[in-house]
Amino acid sequence: MTLLRPAPRVPAARSALDPITALPSRGSSRLDPVLVVAVLLLCAAGSVLVYSATKPRLQAAGSDPESLILRHLVSIALGLALAGALAGSDYRRLRMYTPPVYLVAVGGLALVFSPLGATVNGSHSWIFVGGFSAQPVEFAKLALCLGLALLLAERREGTGVFSHHEVFLAVGLAAIPVGLVALQPDLGSIMVLVAVLAGVLVVAAVPARWIVGLAVTALLGAFVAVQANLLSEYQVDRFAAFANPALDPDGVGYNANQARIAIGSGRLTGTGLFHGTQTGGQFVPEQHTDFIFTVAGEETGFLGAGTLVVLFALLVWRGALIARRAPDLFGALVATAVVCWFGFQVFENVGMTLGLMPITGLPLPFVSYGGTAMLANLAAVGLLLNIHAASGSSRAWRPIRREL
Amino acid sequence: MTGRRPQPARRPAARRPSPGRRPAPQNKRGNKLGNPGRRLHAALMILSLVSVLMVGRLFQVQGFEASSYASVAQNERLRTVTVPANRGVILDRDGDVLARSVEARTVTADPTLIADPVAYAHLLASKLNLDETELAAKLGERPRRYVILAHNIDPEQWRDIAATVDPGTGKPISGIFAEVSSQRVYPADTLAANVLGFLNASGAAGGGIEREFDELLSGKDGQQTYERSSSGGKIATAGIRGSEPVSGQDLQLTIDRDIQYSAQQAIAAKVRETKAESGTVIVQDIRTGEILAMATAPTFDPNNPGKGSDENRGNRAVSQIYEPGSITKALTMSALIEQGVVTPRSEFTVPGELRRSGQVLNDSDPHGTERWTLAGILAKSSNIGTVLATDRISSQLLFDYLKKFGIAEPSGLGFPGESRGLLPKLDSWTGTTRYTLPFGQGFALNTVQAASIYQTIGNGGVRIAPTLVKSWTDKDGVVHTPAAPAVTPVVSAATATTVGKMLEQVTGPGGTAPHVQIAGYRVAGKTGTAQFADSECKCYRGYTASFAGFAPADDPRIVVSVTLQKPVNGHYGGMLGGPVFVEVMTFALRTLGIRPTGAKPARLPLDW
Repeated sequence: MTLLRPAPRVPAARSALDPITALPSRGSSRLDPVLVVAVLLLCAAGSVLVYSATKPRLQAAGSDPESLILRHLVSIALGLALAGALAGSDYRRLRMYTPPVYLVAVGGLALVFSPLGATVNGSHSWIFVGGFSAQPVEFAKLALCLGLALLLAERREGTGVFSHHEVFLAVGLAAIPVGLVALQPDLGSIMVLVAVLAGVLVVAAVPARWIVGLAVTALLGAFVAVQANLLSEYQVDRFAAFANPALDPDGVGYNANQARIAIGSGRLTGTGLFHGTQTGGQFVPEQHTDFIFTVAGEETGFLGAGTLVVLFALLVWRGALIARRAPDLFGALVATAVVCWFGFQVFENVGMTLGLMPITGLPLPFVSYGGTAMLANLAAVGLLLNIHAASGSSRAWRPIRREL
Repeated sequence: MTGRRPQPARRPAARRPSPGRRPAPQNKRGNKLGNPGRRLHAALMILSLVSVLMVGRLFQVQGFEASSYASVAQNERLRTVTVPANRGVILDRDGDVLARSVEARTVTADPTLIADPVAYAHLLASKLNLDETELAAKLGERPRRYVILAHNIDPEQWRDIAATVDPGTGKPISGIFAEVSSQRVYPADTLAANVLGFLNASGAAGGGIEREFDELLSGKDGQQTYERSSSGGKIATAGIRGSEPVSGQDLQLTIDRDIQYSAQQAIAAKVRETKAESGTVIVQDIRTGEILAMATAPTFDPNNPGKGSDENRGNRAVSQIYEPGSITKALTMSALIEQGVVTPRSEFTVPGELRRSGQVLNDSDPHGTERWTLAGILAKSSNIGTVLATDRISSQLLFDYLKKFGIAEPSGLGFPGESRGLLPKLDSWTGTTRYTLPFGQGFALNTVQAASIYQTIGNGGVRIAPTLVKSWTDKDGVVHTPAAPAVTPVVSAATATTVGKMLEQVTGPGGTAPHVQIAGYRVAGKTGTAQFADSECKCYRGYTASFAGFAPADDPRIVVSVTLQKPVNGHYGGMLGGPVFVEVMTFALRTLGIRPTGAKPARLPLDW
């Protein structure tokens, strides 16, 4: 199988003409300090916000107010360890790991429908094993990043040619997890997976007409899905509430309205950590998970919430740089995929709290409470760091020019 | 702001060195490949735009629009609860409580704080007297944060609910709250229910005195505004703003609880016995116009108003109008005597039938030509005799007297749902109107107005408008009395005394109600039997049987007016209304300590 072919050895011919690759980290630095600092700051901010969001709720329920934040910190620690391990591993091995990772991730998605699966908040997206719970879709996102990159890089590096076969294969590779996630259903994650696919196809230099064709097909598919009632009622309601936020402010539009009220009441400097009355009053549902950004908005104001957005922007920017400097197309596509994942998920998550996007159930990377997501996100950061480290080596990837 | 690096416009000519590969494979199948670097760059541009968009939107929400969101947030956290004012007590004339309010709880829930609605419903359904399934649905109404579960929960019961242990946490239940409310209680159940009215499920006055004096009784609800804490409770430190409730005023009625009870029992029994549609009794103090009892049957229980019918929740004594029939003759006689055109001894030759305006008038008992005095005409309730006597005054005078006695005039009670009755205007009288009005046909009144005619005669010809309210006491303990009732001289004292004596003949030998006797007391009264004008068929169907009168006849103190609508067993006013009159009057005289005068009844010649 082509996927298992070992990485081709590409002689060093690093382009000095590429201004980006000509910049700092030339072989010397193993870690990207900007990326690392941004991620660590996001994790730290997330911990404080999760604590602030969970404490009053747990106190009200008479439970230990620290119980959730402790679990959150454990997730971060495990995630950092995983990221470290991935960052330090041999770059060449990543390709070899990819096929099993993809298969395991798809298997995890299928496991949701086994007796181990469970439904939380209308989405059958959890598995429970021995007191631990996990959301397989988070690892599926990571696996798809690797899988798509491998498929397209192999093809392209092998023949340098893209035919519709490769594009179909890539779409098929994404379609398997998308289909499984659609059964849960988890609209937000579907959107992320599709964004990853789109990003990888675009950056892998798939001909523009293919991309346009796929986009049109996707739009048609979405239209048919709505027409054929493939979306559940609450999903359609969420889009209706997005289109018209005034619609039923206590019902469908409740989340969107409350999120914006919380953020708006934070004003410029916020009410202070642990002093958000909307947060403390638990007006926003799922506030420690999907709506964690509203805590930042209320308690730290524009300065805090804006800083979060800037940190994410830094993260995405560094990821994109890593993609450009990647030692080979595979690395470039993995980094691209991860960047698209984070970029889209952050935009969707922050956007929904600000009324820019419809409400879906996506966590804010590194910030929201949720162990599986934290592990998967930090693992992805580990991949970025690994690629970054490899870009300092003799191998280099350079963009292929379109022949005129 | 993100990753925008200066990108040289020139394209590096470098080609990917791929040994062993074909150098320019891209266009084999006509597929134009994109430029990954440029696309990555474009993607970065898009990402920076998106970041700018997010920060911009954030600034819009937190900067420009912040004040509106902040005020919404403030309003949302601030919960304003109404602190109900204590509704005033309604007392009878002796200070016995007819209606009072007790503290109760409205139990509410915050569904977002309830983890397991089904388990909570199972725990609480029986304590709240609610259906378990419905309760579970209410408790599960996320994301709502406020649902009302039950009204009028006893404080004791609430303490029990609040102490319920949540089996999940082993601690008292959370998310269930109580607001102080008040519950209206009518200690004597149906007693004076139709006078008092009731409060509906939402606590609004639904009729009767409760509604007429709602503003006075209800006081002014206070408001308490507090900031909600996470658990839905009050934040102690947050400044509690609000206004103190102002208690309602206590209202004292003219009703005498005991007489009211007696009247209700008597009329209810008679309605049952005669299978009448309804019955009404008014007991009025002649000297003050105060209503001592206002009873109607069937009635309802104001503690549970939902179970009663609309008809039974109203007050027929003021809302139901009917053609009174012969009890009107006392009014006619007063007018004739006051005008000086007749005396009780005036002699009339009364034929068995009388043709007027193309109609043949009859008396209820057929008779040949009789020689009756005016007193005889009243005692025997002769329509023909009354018409012959009334020939001596003009239509205008007759109309004026009807008005002066309060026919089709507001009673002055101001009672909700009151109907003032019907009296055709003089210019719309048809040929027979002036002949039928004197014996009580062609106009309509309510039972209070019927009682008022007899109050006027008993009170020396001075009409005192009926009253139901004695006084009210404001929050400072100051007692207020309503404006004095209108006092209208209608006929002279001499006329009134004369008519009183004539009315005594009704209960004497040869009268229509010789069985209306109260040992030791002289009784003046008049029977009435009229056809019931049924609004459904717009025809006469059934009868109105009535008896109205006062005692003691020689020193009138109390009026009792009894009306039975559409009795099935019997229909003569004297036979049906008389016994109720006797029972209620006897009880009222004793209750009020009115001693028998011991005088012999006046006797007037009935014929010549």
